[in-house]
Amino acid sequence: MLNRRRFLMNSAAAGAGFAALHLTPAFAQDAPQIQIFVPAAPGGGWDQTARAMDQVLRSEKLISGSQITNVGGAGGTVGLPQFVNQWNGKGNALMVAGMVMVGAIIANKSANNLTQVTPIARLTGEFEALVVPAASPFKTAADFVAALKADPTQVPVAGGSAGGSDHILFGLIAKTAGVPATNLSYVPFAGGGEALSALLGNQVAAGISGFGEFSEQVKAGALRLLAISADKRQEGIDAPTLKEAGIDVELFNWRGVFAPPGVSDDDKAAMIKLVETMAKSDAWAKECKNRNWTPILLTGDDYAKFVAEDTARIATILKDLGLA
Amino acid sequence: MSTSNQQATPSRLAVPELSIGIGLLACAAAVAWQTLAIPVSPLYSKVGPTVFPYITMTGMVILSLLLIVAALRGGWQPEEEKETPTDWKAMGFVVVGLLANLLLIQPLGFTAASVIMFVLICYGFGSKRPLRDALLGLILALAAYFGFARALGVNIGAGFVENQLNTIINSIISMLRA
Amino acid sequence: METFGHLAHGFSVAFTPVNLMWCLVGTTLGTAIGVLPGLGPALTIALLLPITYQVAPEASFILFAGIYYGAMYGGSTTSILLNTPGESATIVTALEGNRMARSGRGGAALATSAIGSFVAGTIGTMGVAFLAPIVVKFALSFGPAEYFSLMVLAFITVSAVLGSSSVRGLTSLFAGFVIGMIGVDLQTGQPRFTFGTSELLDGVDVIIVAVGLFAVGETLYMASRRYAGKDEIVPLKGSLYMTAAEWARSWRPWLRGALIGFPIGAMPAGGAEIPTFLSYAIEKKLSRHKEEFGTVGAIEGVAGPEAANNASAAGVLVPMLTLGLPTSATAAIMLSAFQSYGINPGPLLLTTQADLVWGLIASLFIANVILVILNLPLIGLWVRLLKIPAPQLYAGILVFATVGTYGISQSPIDLVILYLLGAAGFLMRRFDFPTAPVIIGMILGPLAETQFRRAMTISNGDWTVFYRHPLSLTLLTLAFIGLVGPHIWAYVERRRLRGPEHVPGDA
Repeated sequence: MLNRRRFLMNSAAAGAGFAALHLTPAFAQDAPQIQIFVPAAPGGGWDQTARAMDQVLRSEKLISGSQITNVGGAGGTVGLPQFVNQWNGKGNALMVAGMVMVGAIIANKSANNLTQVTPIARLTGEFEALVVPAASPFKTAADFVAALKADPTQVPVAGGSAGGSDHILFGLIAKTAGVPATNLSYVPFAGGGEALSALLGNQVAAGISGFGEFSEQVKAGALRLLAISADKRQEGIDAPTLKEAGIDVELFNWRGVFAPPGVSDDDKAAMIKLVETMAKSDAWAKECKNRNWTPILLTGDDYAKFVAEDTARIATILKDLGLA
Repeated sequence: MSTSNQQATPSRLAVPELSIGIGLLACAAAVAWQTLAIPVSPLYSKVGPTVFPYITMTGMVILSLLLIVAALRGGWQPEEEKETPTDWKAMGFVVVGLLANLLLIQPLGFTAASVIMFVLICYGFGSKRPLRDALLGLILALAAYFGFARALGVNIGAGFVENQLNTIINSIISMLRA
Repeated sequence: METFGHLAHGFSVAFTPVNLMWCLVGTTLGTAIGVLPGLGPALTIALLLPITYQVAPEASFILFAGIYYGAMYGGSTTSILLNTPGESATIVTALEGNRMARSGRGGAALATSAIGSFVAGTIGTMGVAFLAPIVVKFALSFGPAEYFSLMVLAFITVSAVLGSSSVRGLTSLFAGFVIGMIGVDLQTGQPRFTFGTSELLDGVDVIIVAVGLFAVGETLYMASRRYAGKDEIVPLKGSLYMTAAEWARSWRPWLRGALIGFPIGAMPAGGAEIPTFLSYAIEKKLSRHKEEFGTVGAIEGVAGPEAANNASAAGVLVPMLTLGLPTSATAAIMLSAFQSYGINPGPLLLTTQADLVWGLIASLFIANVILVILNLPLIGLWVRLLKIPAPQLYAGILVFATVGTYGISQSPIDLVILYLLGAAGFLMRRFDFPTAPVIIGMILGPLAETQFRRAMTISNGDWTVFYRHPLSLTLLTLAFIGLVGPHIWAYVERRRLRGPEHVPGDA
């Protein structure tokens, strides 16, 4: 816990610091300035990724400062065309994007896609969790799948917006269980809080969302965690992965960074190095831990290959769900 | 609104109200067109995405028909509104001001576009001192821009904010000189 | 009682000079951003999130709480004086508040709003401190069926604000439905009414609609009848503050508003707008000065909704602090601030982070006091805004509207929508269509739809859910009484005497 002295020390500088909070440091340094493009409104996952990056890059003295631009809307498909067209060739620029954008590009039939930008690195992922209310008859993921097989319409599942990562995971689970995606009773909620309250109020049979949304409720015993969508068991989480539970599905709601189209190979290599150094720093590891992000670093060509594979997989499932 | 079933004589037909009724009917048609354009989702949902749009459309059709009937019976615009002459010139300047803002805000930036809009609207409302208005508009726009947007770090386009402002200030200075 | 001990401890956390300074910074900043349409507390706190890297958790939450409450105060000031609501929760305030300002009672409107906000904010914050566990249980019992029934009740209640003609009022309401449906359908992910534009996929912001219809529409209207010499603004008539009669008319609406706002704010899908509609409708029904509604402005119509929105702001904190449930955008951002300190908000928050939570609650009390102290003396200054000559006043309002709509989204499409709605607002004013139902339709319509479809999906198409759940049935019964009752009463009345059938006003 905080004691009063630290508290005062922290706060003393803050009064003066407050006014200057958003002014980029004026002094020149060897480290470069970078620009981060966030195709979402401030506050969301991509924006937090950008702001955490800015913080770590500066504290590690890797950059002298950064400028964050938010252009929000439609799962990133409003911002993407702007990044592709107006940021073309900018060697010091990065865009934060992720699985949500892959889905939005397909569902919105966007004219631009992620093959038009330069993949730099996949940084983090949040695995999803399948939970049920504490009073639910489902004790294991197998119980859940069995009920789903018996009659999917009797198993309403709450999650995020239609076509989002939660819906995609539900679709993938159903697919491996041989249940047609179109029979699923999926109840989308706009925000994590609303979906949670439907679960706590026993209005739905199960819920699927990012693990972080549910972790505290699971800890408090209000929800039961059936399985997680990570690739392997996670430390401190007492639940099997979906694969261990016999459902051959793995899903990370990943977030990564891209450079604009048309950047030189040197710029690209330098940017990959910069991001890689950041991602391997202790400060970044600490950020990830605080925010429940799993670091899943993947850079350059491997990342490009991963994006292509994930796009194909998501396109198939969205087609099954009638969203592409 | 009269509920009697009198014959509507041509002189009692209220043209503006009639066009509002017809306009609303056209809106209902646009709603219908856009509803038909909603892709039919094979997803399991007991009530699909088109049900409420159709209900709304039906309501709009009924309401617009009621409005048209009311228009045929002499309309409903309050006498006071009818008798007040419209000041087309003043309105024209306000509309031009809005359009100028809309068209110029991207090429010239927020401040310049706002100043132009400010001057045009003031002129429309009868102000005869455009230079003073331009100055007032500039102060207001800069205060709004720096006071709120800038202090919170909202970037209006990465990097070009300062340049933009400089060019704006320069262009206004040169405008004032001209 | 244990709570008092916690609260006393909370005050000891909040009552350090540094934290009081943060509270002051937060309330001032909150008031400032509340004034701007489009720039709300959620966005501001999101933009200030990096501050969590630099200061202690207590300090940043006190800052955020100040911003949150301050925005509610700031939003009402522009609603009342300029007819330009800064926050969606203060749209209803503009209806009567601006009328009052035009007839010289702007000072009283601002005072009743500030004091009402203080009273309701304090009641709400006490609710957070003492009633949270009970309220949250009640709020969680609301499922989709209950929400839908609540919406039905809300529709029936607010039909009171439809204006002089039900056909035109309903037309406005339906227009609101259409605007509300623009964007991706949450339930199936299909785009609706977007005309193929990706900017419309996220829908239209209610603030743009309110500012377009109210402020831009009004500017056009005033320009069109510049020579008529009517609708002159009277900056001040009588006392600057509230008279004894105005106090007497305000206190009941404050309490009623607080009682409506707090529980609805605590509901996961409640929000701050619905309680303001309900409060307005109820005050209009109960008022002994009905003739003032929509004409010179009735103080009840400001006092009630203002109290309701501040109480609901406190209500939102109930599920956030007790269960870690973010039920509004602002709460969600505040929770992500918890995370950047490595604190996981959840049901255990109250026990594991007692210092922080009680410090936050105490600072809410302090923020309320600071805000009322800050706002009351400023009223004299604010009212002077109305003395600005019409040309500069209207031009200024439009610049203001632009900062909010374009400054944040940087999308010219938002400006196009704003101006088109302005044109619509102008025509509606000329042809006596009420504008408030557009806003009501736009907020309640999609909510009702979502909850209805959700309920039907969960129940697998079984209609009986709406009356099988006792709570839902109760709400529907109330709605039915609300629908049928007045008609029976009116029928009886009409048989006694033939009253005037057309009441002008209610623009």
